[in-house]
Order: sequence, then structure tokens, then C-alpha cells
Amino acid sequence: MANASLIGLSRQMALRRELDVVSNNVANINTTGFKGDTAVFEEYVMPKARHDGFPGKHSKLSYVHDRATWHDLTQGPLRQTGNPLDVAIDGKDFFVVQTPQGERYTRNGSFQINSTGELVTSQGYRVMGEAGPIQFQTDDKDIIINRDGTIAVPDGTRGKLRLVSFEDAQRLRKDGFSTFSAPNGVVPQASQLPHVIQGSIEQSNVKGIVEMTRLIEVTRAYTQTATLLQQHGDMRKSSIERLAEVPA
Amino acid sequence: MRALHTAATGMMAQELNVQVISNNIANMRTTGYKRQRAEFQDLLYEHVRRVGTQTSEQGNILPSGIELGSGVKTVGTPRLMTQGTPITTGKEHDIAIRGEGFFPITMPDGRTAYTRDGSFAVDATGRLVTAQGYLIEPAITVPQNSTGFTVNAQGQVMVTPAGTTTPTQIGQIQIAMFMNKSGLQGIGDNLYLETPSSGTPQLGTPGTLSFGNLMQNALEQANVEAVSEISDLIAAQRAYEMNAKVVTAADQMLQSTSGMMR
Repeated sequence: MANASLIGLSRQMALRRELDVVSNNVANINTTGFKGDTAVFEEYVMPKARHDGFPGKHSKLSYVHDRATWHDLTQGPLRQTGNPLDVAIDGKDFFVVQTPQGERYTRNGSFQINSTGELVTSQGYRVMGEAGPIQFQTDDKDIIINRDGTIAVPDGTRGKLRLVSFEDAQRLRKDGFSTFSAPNGVVPQASQLPHVIQGSIEQSNVKGIVEMTRLIEVTRAYTQTATLLQQHGDMRKSSIERLAEVPA
Repeated sequence: MRALHTAATGMMAQELNVQVISNNIANMRTTGYKRQRAEFQDLLYEHVRRVGTQTSEQGNILPSGIELGSGVKTVGTPRLMTQGTPITTGKEHDIAIRGEGFFPITMPDGRTAYTRDGSFAVDATGRLVTAQGYLIEPAITVPQNSTGFTVNAQGQVMVTPAGTTTPTQIGQIQIAMFMNKSGLQGIGDNLYLETPSSGTPQLGTPGTLSFGNLMQNALEQANVEAVSEISDLIAAQRAYEMNAKVVTAADQMLQSTSGMMR
């Protein structure tokens, strides 16, 4: 009898996790370069019920188990800002930034120049070029960032943005601060066909309608399971009452 | 419940976004105003199941883990220092900068502030001052009874002193440039202060190197575009509503849980 409660509980736990994922997506609906997540569940089939000695066949019990969260790595919509230091990537590449923890990867191309003339992210992390950080001179103006990531000013080039791609970008880990890190064994490769767009930023790829639909789905399923559990509880209660009735 | 807090961070972020947008709209007609943009980043993640964990003794590796994010935070409100449209005003003491640079201003407390607002005036003693009465740096004094106040593109200030017909130079307007002008600190009154993030000012003559040149009888308008601000406002409001819906949903789920207990 307890199995029904436990199965229901496993479903509710999974739904709560899904709500956590949905809420994080919605919270980041306006975050530049944000990639949404999707919770993936799997069936966990209990090998056998507890008692094996019955003559009849035992049906297997299936619990739900959260398996993973997938990064939705599709392209976010581009938004023109007109700011020459805003760069968006068209395609599957990532920018490389230098953080105190090491190299990190991001799709957030809202860059700035810091007081020493280096190209940095809004967090202050240095943006890496193919030959190290990108350094500007004090009197540089009219900065042009070409499609392939080359950064040019009227009197020369100031480097080329380092763009990398991953064979399996799913395995990247989210660190917060719009950055991803690569776990051991995931090696960035130099991008084959870099394509960046100056004066634009990539918006969050979270789709409000999808998330709201998911939200309805989650709450309804949760309430449904709660009702089921309640009915199951009532059933137990009444059976206990009936069975324990002492005839007068 | 984590989702409640996550949605709360989302609502707070959008509230701040609306605040930034409303300040931009409020300053749509402020001379030399530079619009701001709220910049967001995702918060830390809890790695419930780490990426790359082995799932069997044969070395099968989990293709992706379970990551639960905890919301959003504001990382900054950088100013977009793009050029505003210069409009001619016909007032001789109005000066606009076309291109890079700021006018250095001496504040009453002795510090130097920087502005793009060139709506200057002459005070009782003939000194060139801002609309608040602060002196421009270096100070320029217009001799009494002189006529024909002109400022050329290179910042040379000329007047024709009383009783003569030839204009003479009475001063030179200098402008300051910063490595990271978005790092300047806005203090209101159209003034900015130098910060460690902006770098030290580089003073120069307008029209030389990469300094912008000056335009007399004109003022630089705010670089706020009504259409983009309003559409940003709509987007922020909708995002706020969606986060509020998440709060409702999380609340409903909690309610159904607590309803089970009788």
C-alpha cells in the first residue's frame, strides 16, 4: 500500500525540481546570452516488489527520477543596441573569458573597456583574443569588430576575438554570471566559421509562452498527484477504521 | 521552496529594469543625458548531479547533470555613451561636443566633474559657468562690454573687446577623455565624476587626435529613443508578470501540499 504514496511522492519531488528549473528560466528572461534549461525525467523501474512468493504475477513499480537538466543551446534573438562594444555570436560558438577560476565560456557579448584599456565583460573578466587579452590604446576610437572577430581601429588591428566551439556543448557546466565551464575531458576547439555581429547582443533564449505552458502543466500535475495521494490516504484511513472495528 | 525565491529575484530584477527605463524616459529632454541599460546575469547553480560523473564501472559518463539555478542578479547599469543629436539653439553660450570628450567643471568643493551639457552662461563677473553656476575648467572670463562671443571647432574662444573691431582670443576650452567612459559615476546635475573604473582623464584640445570638436549655438540632446524605451518597458512588465505567475504557481503547489494534511 505504501508504494502508491512513494510513487506519488517521487512524482511530486520531480515536479518541484521542474518548477525550480522553470522559475530560473523565467527569472532570466531578460538576461543577455542566457540559455534556458529543461528538466529531463526518467522512469525508475523497481526490479521487484517486496514479496516474491505469490503465485500470481507481480507488476513492476515505476518511480520517476530526475535524470538531467538539458541546456537549450539554440540561438537567442538578436537585439540591436548600436553600442560598438556589444557583440553577438551567430552560430554555436562561445567567447572565451578569463576569470580568477580559469578560462570560462560565455555567449554574453556585452563588453566594455576598463580603465587600463582592456576589453572586459560587465563582470570585469578579460575577454580573450587569439593572442591573449585584447588591449586598446587610450586614443582608440571608431572600433570595428568584423564578422570573423577581428577588432580594428583606424590605425591597425587590436586582436581577434577567440571563439571556440564544443563537440558536445551539453556537457558544459553553468557557473552563473553568464559563464559556462568545461569539465575534464571537454576540450574547446577553435571555431571553424566564426561569425560575430557588432552592435547587437544576444537576448535570452527563454520563450515566455513555453515556460508559462510548462508552469501550468507542472502545477496541474502536482495538484493532481496531491489529490491522488489524498484519496489514497482516505482509502487507508477508511480501511483501518473498518478493519479495526470491534463488533460490539 | 526554491522556486519562490528564484521568482522573487526575477521580479526584483525587472523592478530595477523598470526603474532604469523610467529614469531614461524622465531624462528624455535632458541636455547631454546618456541612457543607461540594466545588465543581468544568472545567479549561482546548484549541481545536484554533476556533469561527467561515471554512471557505471565500464566508465559510462553522464552526458549532462542536474543544474538548478537560483535566479538572476543585476550586474550593472552601464551608460551608453553614444552621441546624442545636436540641435541648434541660437544661444551663443551653448556649446555641443561632436564626438568624444567631456567639459571639465570645477565643483564648489574643488573637485573636478565632467559633463556633456554645454548650456553655459556668463555670470555677473563675466566668467563662463554651467547652468548651476559652476566654473568651467580652465576658467574663461569674458571682458566687460565685449561683443561677438564665438567658439570655434577647436575650442578657441574669441570676443571683440569694447572699442575695437578685431576679435581677440580670450581662452581655450579643453575637453577630457576617458579610457572607459561608461565607468564614470553620474552624480546628477548632468555631471560625472572620475572613478577607478573610468581611468584618469586625458585633457586635450577639441578637434585634435581623437577628441571631438565643438559646435557653438548648439546643445546635445539626450540619446534616449522613445520607441526602444517603451518596448523595453513592455518587455520588462511582461517579464515581471511571468515571474509573478511563477510565484502563484509555487504558492499553489505549496497549498496543495499543506491541504493534504488534515
